[in-house]
Amino acid sequence: MGMRNKLRLLKIFIVAFLLLFPLLGLSQVPERVPKPDFQTDYSRPDLLTPAPRATVLEYIDIGIIVVALSLATYLAHKQRSRRNIFLLMVFALAYFGFYRKGCVCPIGAIQNVSYALFNPAYAIPIFVIVFFVLPLVFALFYGRTFCAAVCPLGAIQDAVVIKPTNVPGWLANVLGVFPYIYLGLAVLFAATGAGFIICQYDPFIGFFRFGADFNMVIFGMSMLMLGTVVARPYCRFLCPYGVLLNWMSRLSKRHVKITPDECNNCRLCEESCPFGAIVKPDEAALPANREADVKRVAYIFVLIPVVIFGSGWIGSRLDIPLSRLHSTVSLADEILLENSGKRTEMTDETKAFRASGKPTEELFADAGAIQHKFKVGGWILGGFIGLILCLKLTSLFMRRKQLEYDVDKGTCLSCGRCFAYCPYEQVRLGIITPEEAEEMGSREVRIKQFRA
Amino acid sequence: MTKLWYNIAKRIAIVAAVLAGILSVLMIVNYIQTKSVDPLNSQAISQLMTRLKESPNDTALKEQIRALDLLARKAYFTHQWQIRTGSYLLFAFVLVLLLALKYMSSLQPRLPDLSKSPEPDETWESKFLSRKYIFFGGLGLFFLAFVLGILSQTELKNIGIIKTEESQGTAVFPSIEEIRDNWPGFRGPEGIGVAYHTDVPTEWSGPTGQNILWKTPIPHPGYNSPIVWGKRIFLSGADRRIQIVYCIDADSGKILWQTELNDILGSPERRPQVTEDTGYAAPTMTTDGQRVFALFATGDIACLDFEGNRIWAKNLGMPDNHYGHASSLVTYRDLLLLQFDQNAGGRLLALRTRTGDLVYDQPRDVEISWASPILVITGSRTELILNSNPFVISHDPQTGQELWQVRCMQGEIAPSPAYADGMVYVVNDYARLAAITLGETPNVAWEYIDDLSEVASPLATKDLVIMAASYGAVTCFESKTGERLWIQDFDEGFYSSPILVGDSVFLMDMFGVTYVFKAEKEFQLLSKNELGERAMAIPAFMHNRIYIRGEKNLFCIGD
Repeated sequence: MGMRNKLRLLKIFIVAFLLLFPLLGLSQVPERVPKPDFQTDYSRPDLLTPAPRATVLEYIDIGIIVVALSLATYLAHKQRSRRNIFLLMVFALAYFGFYRKGCVCPIGAIQNVSYALFNPAYAIPIFVIVFFVLPLVFALFYGRTFCAAVCPLGAIQDAVVIKPTNVPGWLANVLGVFPYIYLGLAVLFAATGAGFIICQYDPFIGFFRFGADFNMVIFGMSMLMLGTVVARPYCRFLCPYGVLLNWMSRLSKRHVKITPDECNNCRLCEESCPFGAIVKPDEAALPANREADVKRVAYIFVLIPVVIFGSGWIGSRLDIPLSRLHSTVSLADEILLENSGKRTEMTDETKAFRASGKPTEELFADAGAIQHKFKVGGWILGGFIGLILCLKLTSLFMRRKQLEYDVDKGTCLSCGRCFAYCPYEQVRLGIITPEEAEEMGSREVRIKQFRA
Repeated sequence: MTKLWYNIAKRIAIVAAVLAGILSVLMIVNYIQTKSVDPLNSQAISQLMTRLKESPNDTALKEQIRALDLLARKAYFTHQWQIRTGSYLLFAFVLVLLLALKYMSSLQPRLPDLSKSPEPDETWESKFLSRKYIFFGGLGLFFLAFVLGILSQTELKNIGIIKTEESQGTAVFPSIEEIRDNWPGFRGPEGIGVAYHTDVPTEWSGPTGQNILWKTPIPHPGYNSPIVWGKRIFLSGADRRIQIVYCIDADSGKILWQTELNDILGSPERRPQVTEDTGYAAPTMTTDGQRVFALFATGDIACLDFEGNRIWAKNLGMPDNHYGHASSLVTYRDLLLLQFDQNAGGRLLALRTRTGDLVYDQPRDVEISWASPILVITGSRTELILNSNPFVISHDPQTGQELWQVRCMQGEIAPSPAYADGMVYVVNDYARLAAITLGETPNVAWEYIDDLSEVASPLATKDLVIMAASYGAVTCFESKTGERLWIQDFDEGFYSSPILVGDSVFLMDMFGVTYVFKAEKEFQLLSKNELGERAMAIPAFMHNRIYIRGEKNLFCIGD
């Protein structure tokens, strides 16, 4: 990248910053002000509640995400321009992040969809479905271009990547289990109506809205600080939507590639991916104890039903602690504590409930029904986590033949960082000649080196 | 040139980082300050408000409060503004810092290091480590989940059980046979002063210990009567500081447990003023065979299980009662019924026994009273009959709906109604003894105006009506006609009510002397039994046992 280009990039940054700043004024949240206790004839004005977002604006949102996804796919696949992907990412951060305040986003839409599936009375808005489905459809055909340039959560993390370090493979594998657990919990809580924990514990929403719980601000700050050296930690080790995108992306046939041509194993792209999504050539001999490993895999396959049942049973035992996060069960718990004298101070919730005149047995009946849902959900959640662990273990016994540098379709975010490292990309852009590219090492030579 | 730009970016980054750091510290300090300030609960304003209550017309004080309130609010909003503005500035500094760092990074691109020998993506060792950590991590995760699941099996589990009971429609309450086999409330099984266990001693003596099986001191006072279910006796006690329920083993007299009920939500901080002869624990407890219920003069009502664990408790509102609330509790199916007639107006309350939920709150157009409801089957239906001024009113216990009313009472009513053979008998001092014939339109069949009972409830049999006055006169009437059959004067007056045990009547005076006489048209004294201490409560009659609460002790009398 030449100096002129860098300067232009800087200018664009500044322009984006200047454009962004006035938008912040729009994102101020009204204060929750305690009302003065007037003893005079003063009549309080009616509270104003914000009007719902106009339908036309929702269609505009749909249009924008369609265009953004298409553009991201074009930039990654056809133009192969990291710079333009980055600029689109800045736009997504500004629009979906700061302007739309991070809502609605496909990640949170998981919960709307789950809630709608288990609560037929809930009419899920069409644009939420579109937001949920579109990135998955794009991932199914073209890989995770949504993560590359459209997701505001990914964008804010990408913006702070300063000096990324490689996470050791074993640690990445272990941490890679967490998104599945998070996804399972999010679906369970949404399906039971306990809450939308993805939104509740979104570390970046506080930045988008300029207001958040203190603990969440600390969490968000920690994530961003970590993100300066561990690229996109939330995307890689927490994002539940990333699980679905990963599954879809594995199936994609037109995924981005590091090289626009045939890889010559020059190794120049080896360290270019901060997400560890580049698969290196591997033609090493099979390990000596291969037979023992095959047996272990067979054992795992045999044990999968047992593990699913056992973990499902354990999950079902969590019905009480998990269901406490549901407001109805929590209220019933508080009422029980108060009635039994174990708590001597009423909470605002219990005061309001008692003032409502609603019978506690009705509350307890509701809470009991919710607990039952958690019992069933606990079985499914536990079984799901058990299955994922088994499959993860099995996959770690597998060894595939790999002859050249390529992307891991599941974890590659299509960010385009690796493109520029490929000599054939340089040839494509007319920066170097094909001969110069060839000098960087032939494929045969590299394979020989690996075998040696 | 590149170096120049790099240095410029570096300096910008340093300045932005320092400013962001300083701003962060300031914002944290500001946040802590804001958290510690609560403009609504300012101590200074609270003090001034207290003073204003004492002198509500002090205009200067009002102005002072307003000024202070405005100041507190201004400070609060200034903090809010500072945090908001600080957030924007911090955002700007961090953005500048990031841009500078990114720019620096772009000026010094990291070239790939090709010096190291090529490594496969994940070595077999790395995969081995991954498998190990995932396997043991997974085990640990499930173990933690299991422990958490075990540890959290608390009371919340019962919510499901309650729901199951409800969905199956199996609310559990005792049958009439079980009720009659016990002594579950004030004046026995149906609250009408009739005992179904008739094999009880007719002679005893507290001072000599004759037929006294055991005697247990009850630490806290209460004029409520003991109730009995199976082998457990329950009674309550209270003074200005403590409200307590005792459970006593019927065989040994040992106090099995005692549960204090001093921390009930909504309980008034200042105890109500009560008279000495009413006290704080006058209402007799009741039980549905699974739970016991206690009510106190504070309006605190509680439900305990048979092990003394509190199931629910609440405050009904401080009774507006110049003597102290005294009306006792009654259970009907899964309802707990309360006659809550206060100076402010009368109410009939029904609470769900399991939860304490209010089922109905039926207003009653009556004056204050101290009588307790009786629950009787009057032919085709069960009626809850309440004696009050000026009406005797019958309610449907299930809904609280009024069934009928007869205007015949006056004054401060303490005696509860009596019932036998289709007739209700009500009495009050300075009013009358009235016999009400039930039917399509209940009406007063006869009345009597002398030697009236002040506190003790009358007793009715098929043929007789007996009432005991607080100055010692006991009068017997022919039940259908009101003809006075006999009158007998005793040395002391009666607060305790007569109880029919077989063909005998047991009646205890205020000094703990129980007279046993025949329920006949002629007075025939069978025995006179001293307890050895003053007593106001009504004895409980069980199989071969009588339990009497004296002023200080609970006595068990048996052969």
